[in-house]
Amino acid sequence: MEKPANPGTIEVPASTAWPFVLAVGVMLLFAGIVTSMAVSALGAVLSVAATVGWFREVLPREREEFAPVIPESIRLTTERRVVERFPVATDQVRAWLPVHTYPISAGVKGGLAGSVAMAVLACTYGVLKAGSIWYPINLLAGVVYSESLRLPGRLYSFHASSFGIALLLHGVVSLLVGLLYGAMLPMFPRRPILLGGMVVPVLWSGLLYTILGLLNPLLASHIDWFWFIASQVAFGIVAGFVVVRQSRIRTRENVPFAMRAGVEAPGLIPPRESEDKRQ
Amino acid sequence: MSSDAITMPGVNIDDRAWVDVLHRWLTTVDHKRLGILYILYALFFLLVAGAEALIIRIQLIHSHNDFVSPQVFNRMFTMHGTTMIFFVVMPVLFGFANYLVPLMIGARDMAFPRLNAFSFWLTALGGFLLYFSFVGANGLYGAGNAPDVGWWAYAPLTARAFSPGHSSDYWTLALLVSGFGSIGTAINIIATILCLRCPGMTLNRMPLFAWLNLVMSGLVLIALTPLSAAQIMLLIDRYLGGHFFDAQAGGSAALWMHFFWIFGHPEVYILIIPAFAFMSEIIPVFSRKPIFGYPIMVAATIAIGFVSMSVWAHHLFTIGMSSYANSFFTITSMVIGVPTGIKIFNWLGTMWGGKIQFKVPMLFCIGFLFQFLIGGLTGIMQATAPVDWQLSLSYFVVAHFHYIIVGGIIFALFAAFYYWYPKITGRMLSETLGKWHFWLFLIGFHLTFDLMHIPGLLGMPRRIYTYEPGRGWDTLNLLITVGAFIQGIAIMIFVANLVISYFKGDVAGNDPWDAWTLEWSVSSPPPAYNFATIPVVESRRPLWDVKHPEDPDSRYE
Repeated sequence: MEKPANPGTIEVPASTAWPFVLAVGVMLLFAGIVTSMAVSALGAVLSVAATVGWFREVLPREREEFAPVIPESIRLTTERRVVERFPVATDQVRAWLPVHTYPISAGVKGGLAGSVAMAVLACTYGVLKAGSIWYPINLLAGVVYSESLRLPGRLYSFHASSFGIALLLHGVVSLLVGLLYGAMLPMFPRRPILLGGMVVPVLWSGLLYTILGLLNPLLASHIDWFWFIASQVAFGIVAGFVVVRQSRIRTRENVPFAMRAGVEAPGLIPPRESEDKRQ
Repeated sequence: MSSDAITMPGVNIDDRAWVDVLHRWLTTVDHKRLGILYILYALFFLLVAGAEALIIRIQLIHSHNDFVSPQVFNRMFTMHGTTMIFFVVMPVLFGFANYLVPLMIGARDMAFPRLNAFSFWLTALGGFLLYFSFVGANGLYGAGNAPDVGWWAYAPLTARAFSPGHSSDYWTLALLVSGFGSIGTAINIIATILCLRCPGMTLNRMPLFAWLNLVMSGLVLIALTPLSAAQIMLLIDRYLGGHFFDAQAGGSAALWMHFFWIFGHPEVYILIIPAFAFMSEIIPVFSRKPIFGYPIMVAATIAIGFVSMSVWAHHLFTIGMSSYANSFFTITSMVIGVPTGIKIFNWLGTMWGGKIQFKVPMLFCIGFLFQFLIGGLTGIMQATAPVDWQLSLSYFVVAHFHYIIVGGIIFALFAAFYYWYPKITGRMLSETLGKWHFWLFLIGFHLTFDLMHIPGLLGMPRRIYTYEPGRGWDTLNLLITVGAFIQGIAIMIFVANLVISYFKGDVAGNDPWDAWTLEWSVSSPPPAYNFATIPVVESRRPLWDVKHPEDPDSRYE
């Protein structure tokens, strides 16, 4: 902290009327448009005068005044000395929950495995019920590619564009949901398969069932909801199963990002000691 | 007051004191005083806009009512909307930001104290200019006085042919002037937060209040400029023969809609993000736990800031956009619910397992959580273009956005008032009056705005002057108006509490809530210089570290 020129005082910006006068001037300048040119002229004069006055306040050096320091004895204490703690990790005073989690690779593996299970079931549906393996693939592409749904007959034949879009969509979404499972399942450790395999797919399917008719009625009319839910559940069970079979690692929320990312570089020393000295 | 002033011959000492007080407030550049001015100014206009709302509700209390004329009714809903958004909620949020940001980050003032004063006076005078229209615009060309084109002022209503006289000009000029003030304040908040943080206060340790106000200020800079540009274009249309919004001469009425809503929807987030900031400070203190998921809260706020810039055209589904535009704005409007939902989960996560104290600020926070969630969900409903086609311009929409503005932002504001009033005045607000205020306002709010969804679903259009009997709207409108009056009574109790407690409230001390941020480390009210010694912080909860030296946060962050 810089030392004040006068002991026992602290420099603060000096009060000034120029900002107020300038604001009045600007307001009158505009108000003249709907009242009288004389009002605008007065506003202009006030604005110029206030601008000059303001500049003289801050140039060559901004005007300040000295506020006397008021002696006070402020005690920062608390009556709540005792702090309750969750007994989640006996070796830690404070724990980042969940104490153990899955590595990112677990989510990737789960997502990819779930995507295969879902695709197998969806294609089975296509062959057995719809009469074409390409039907569910074209339908999936129809989520973002309206051409895929334009003609009813188009759904039953192979189209490279629809196939490419469906493949990309299926892969990316499966990967992201797998990552989500990897992050979420440790937070619900009691019945992860029930949550990941049943509850989440059913909730997701319910949400889609209620809104898809509004968002895309044409797409909704082509969906067989029983098979849709079955394929969602297949994804959930397989992805959840693969995720929970991976070995867990300790949560490292409190470790700097560079260390979590495995960067080995000079300067990555424990933060607490270094932090204190820098201040 | 100087002794010279007291001994001036012929001058009454009391008068002189009054003039001195006035002079001090008019010339102040102190962020705390300017914050108080913002807040008092907003409270005044809250009463004005509340009175306008009651006039609207009395007019709609039963069918075929003619409590006011259609012209006055139009003025009332225009002035109510404009006043609430621009001259109540924005100034009061800027007021709290002005007062608290420097204190929370360990600074002695804002980065540009004079700009701060200039910005406040521009905002304030903008509001007075708007209301001067009741006097100044009267009778010109046989036209009406106050603006009556709705708070969106859609073209072509604002064209000379449909809005003769100066009422629309007053609306335009008032918002232009106050908009300059808002931009000045936003620049100041950003500069203060980025440049004046005390030693040790890295961005990662900054209170969420400061983080959220930083994002809000960035949004102000981005969102208010298109509005100001559109206001200038409208002035050119009306005064210089321009045709920006004149569809018959090659202009586009839809252009105004886009300009207005590219401001208007981010504006919702400009208003709600500071409300989130209040929640993020108050809920942890009354749950006796640190905020859950600090980095995610920051990330979610930044995400909201970004996504909020790409949702505006969901206000325009009914004007006939392409299916691609409808799809895009449907998706973005739904996506913004994700970071917002994360915030709600994190506040609940903060409360989960905490020792919750049901003091008045916390009651308002809990009310906020429920109501903001419901308002958000009806927002998601209307983000779907086909649903919006059915509900747009109905009272359902009015109910939805009042759920956000009143059920969300105003509840959060009341929480903030009860929480920081002791710091600002040195006195505690009465808990008893506070609980009366809370319960009455809660009942009135739900009576009004829960029921308001139903006439909307039954087809009652917004801004309708009166209606035919027998449509199923009568009883609902009666109850809605009763609810509005209950809210009015609750607000009068609140104002009485502010006044009575100022003179007779319990002395607060510097830290009445056993809180953790820096503003509670100085006396209440704080001295002019804020901190005699600039503090040094080592964690997100510097006062926790001081109070619990055996187990400071700094050991774990």
